[in-house]
Amino acid sequence: MKKLLLIMCVMVVPVNAWAKDKLLDIQPVTSPGGIKAWLVEDHNVPVIALEFGFKGAGALLEPTDKQGLSRMLSNTMDEGAGDLESQVFQKELQDLSIGLSFGSTRDDFTGSVKTLTRNKARAFELLQLALTKPRFDAEPVERMRAANLSRIRSSMSEPDWIAARILNDLAFTGHPYAQNSGGTLTTLASITPDDLRAFHKNNLGKNNLFVSVAGDITKEELATLLDQVFGALPTVKLPAVPKTTSLQNENTVNVYKKDIPQTIVEMLQPGIDRKDTDYQVAQVMNFILGSSGFGSRLTEEIREKRGLTYGIYSYFMDMEYFDGLEVSTSTENKNAGEIIAMTKAEWEKMKDAPVTADELKDAKTYLTGSLPLSLTSTDAIAGLLLSLQMDDLPLDYLDQREKIINATTEADVQRVAKKILQEDKMTVVLVGTPEGVKDFKAIDKVPNVE
Amino acid sequence: MKRALFIAALLCLSGGGIVWAQMAATPKADTPEAAKETREKIFNAETFTLENGLQIVVIPNHRAPVITHMVWYKVGAADEVTGKSGIAHFLEHLMFKGSNGLAPGEFSKKIRAMGGEDNAFTGHDYTSYHQSVSVDHLEDVMKMEAGRMRGLNPPLDHVDSERLVILEERRQRTDNDPRARFAEQMNALLYVNHPYSKPVIGWASEMASLSWDDCKTFYDKWYAPNNAILIVAGDVTGQQVFDLAKKIYGPLPKGDVPERMRPVSPPLAGVPEVTLEDEVIREPMVQIVYRTPGSRQNKEETLALQALEEIMSGGPTSRIYKNLVVDQKIATGAGLSYQSAALDDSELWIYATPAPGKDIKAVKTALQDQIRDVIKNGVTATELKEAITRMQADAIYARDSLTGPAMVFGYALTTGSSIDDVEYWTYDIAKVTAKQIQDVAKKYLDPDAVLEHAAVTGYLLPKASAPPAAEPAKEAAP
Repeated sequence: MKKLLLIMCVMVVPVNAWAKDKLLDIQPVTSPGGIKAWLVEDHNVPVIALEFGFKGAGALLEPTDKQGLSRMLSNTMDEGAGDLESQVFQKELQDLSIGLSFGSTRDDFTGSVKTLTRNKARAFELLQLALTKPRFDAEPVERMRAANLSRIRSSMSEPDWIAARILNDLAFTGHPYAQNSGGTLTTLASITPDDLRAFHKNNLGKNNLFVSVAGDITKEELATLLDQVFGALPTVKLPAVPKTTSLQNENTVNVYKKDIPQTIVEMLQPGIDRKDTDYQVAQVMNFILGSSGFGSRLTEEIREKRGLTYGIYSYFMDMEYFDGLEVSTSTENKNAGEIIAMTKAEWEKMKDAPVTADELKDAKTYLTGSLPLSLTSTDAIAGLLLSLQMDDLPLDYLDQREKIINATTEADVQRVAKKILQEDKMTVVLVGTPEGVKDFKAIDKVPNVE
Repeated sequence: MKRALFIAALLCLSGGGIVWAQMAATPKADTPEAAKETREKIFNAETFTLENGLQIVVIPNHRAPVITHMVWYKVGAADEVTGKSGIAHFLEHLMFKGSNGLAPGEFSKKIRAMGGEDNAFTGHDYTSYHQSVSVDHLEDVMKMEAGRMRGLNPPLDHVDSERLVILEERRQRTDNDPRARFAEQMNALLYVNHPYSKPVIGWASEMASLSWDDCKTFYDKWYAPNNAILIVAGDVTGQQVFDLAKKIYGPLPKGDVPERMRPVSPPLAGVPEVTLEDEVIREPMVQIVYRTPGSRQNKEETLALQALEEIMSGGPTSRIYKNLVVDQKIATGAGLSYQSAALDDSELWIYATPAPGKDIKAVKTALQDQIRDVIKNGVTATELKEAITRMQADAIYARDSLTGPAMVFGYALTTGSSIDDVEYWTYDIAKVTAKQIQDVAKKYLDPDAVLEHAAVTGYLLPKASAPPAAEPAKEAAP
């Protein structure tokens, strides 16, 4: 396997020459004030992408009656900061073509800045303001509330959104993950600017911060910048949350009846932790099973041979306190029972016999060789660096990963398939008018939305 | 609510799928004086044409040792014969079902085995096939793509199963989704007598009866090197690509490719409105779509419309959002979008989601008032200057991508624009004047001269709501 030098600094070849034996030349940077970041320098395009995350500060911290709070925070932190009111702040971002935004997942609170080099000084000042002095004025808070309520009402007509909502509710019953991270019509209405201030102050700290940067900036410059942008953040102590959770309502089929021509199918079973020594082997197994689209067993059997669907994929769900393996597809109502049975049959085949040498070879080549394709923009590189750090993975993870994948055998794949795949533990959700499905539970109402 | 980059650099292409024609606003420019060109290009692409007519565009980008290889055919859903809607897209799917030296499905599997990605998409004016692989596989993908330019031969049982797949695709994208059916219906009314009125994926009843013979006829007529553009972006030089292309694509024979004859849409004699009520709709929406000039028809006007789009809808402080959502608070979202990349008429949409309790017709009027304001008072010099600066910055961001620039050239060259139109777009857009913007608004969008241009108004409503033509509903949302 040829080693790939991902990032080439054309102007400064000697500096980077030593990096030829690594996939990605990641430089760890520590500021004088002690803030750490990972950097990939790349001076090809005059653009800088900075991404950051506050670990554990996501939707799982929300009280039940304030679901949607972290998402509302992500919508309002860039709506005015310091002396700059919402429209003034946004106008400056727009005039300087600075992309600044925040986001939240169930686990974490995140943010990013993308700027042209020529506007970097102001871009990072505006980020610093948004992070440390957000205004939460009544006008933008109301406007973002209205936009979120509108988003929910719009989503309520989308069958795939309905399926995801129901699955989430059933799979994590009793854990904060079951909550609606987008908020409900009721909870969003009750969120106040003070709620936003408290969530911001209590959960976004220097001590749960991770930063990654890619693009047209040097290590020295970044070190100084880290203190300017993040130095004023407090130290926070996050509230305790229920740590692990197991899949709930397993081995059930749940049907939300809807008068549409095609049934949406979601199937979830337990997965594997990213730090498990078998995680990479599991990726190889799942590539062959269903993550790769064309060439995967699910796509070949169900789409290519029988034309039962436009798309079927299986993928791992990596969350802090839950690991899952999910299958998503859709099919004309009359085929719903068949597509579930066929998926489960592929589960059994994967456990019953080893994969072929060709399947294994192709999976290895793809999983190792395709990485550079996803690293062709500064924000994609910064995004990868951030996810590695937030998952507590080492600097040389990408190189380690490649070694493990290349060492995987047919017997490894079968062993891991037997360890992971459990067709009798699936929580299944169907939205549509499915036929051929026995022993299902009817869901009358989309839970936790109104 | 943040601004999107003007060049659709990040397109999410799903398996064997289609991307709707209006996804990218393609830059456009004039013919430069080649003799003493001192202007700076955006992408520094190189171009070359083989003797068999295949045009080649190379966009060197040495950031990573990878390439994107694309072949764009200058044919799409608007070139289908009447009654056979969906052929262009069905054929796109069948292109993966067996060709010279490749068994059904083998194309994509081979690409995966190289550690690469591949896909394809169809629009009204183009059909595009693309692969991203490490640079050492460039020759392999060229051979595979060249092999299916004239040598497609899918087994009939695969044609039959794939027909089921495209029907599933239609159910997933359109039939299951009232918003998609709503947009499809508005398009059908906008383009009277013109094939843009057809959905790219096809009408379900016609899709069900498409045969291999239909596809083969279409394929033989349109798929040829002299009707295609090869675009390679990535860690290569122009010379390298030209040499390989000459060897691999060069031997393919020219086809007898017809002119793309398209009928003309007559002016509308009335004002069409679509009202779609559906019980699953909880959030109403109003949209107006206008027929506007495409990039081939009138370059200056498309540039002026691009600048208008940026001023009206370039971000959260732009006119429409600021007025309707921030100041008046009659909508929770609103904007304007213009897609110039079309061989014939292009489309300009304005849209809003009424705030709870706001009358949808009043919201429509407020949207139209934004147009009226431009027609009456024009745009300010500051607004225009700021818009141009932002659009020029977008061109820099567009370079921060491997596939994005290749897409931009593909859209442009299949819809009548030139390489220079793309490369010097930042200069051309800077020449747009406030007067030109006011003129195109008046000419194409005037709400008070409805029969002088073609527009369709659409209302998407919850089932229980009163139709907008009757008394205004008091509650627009439950």
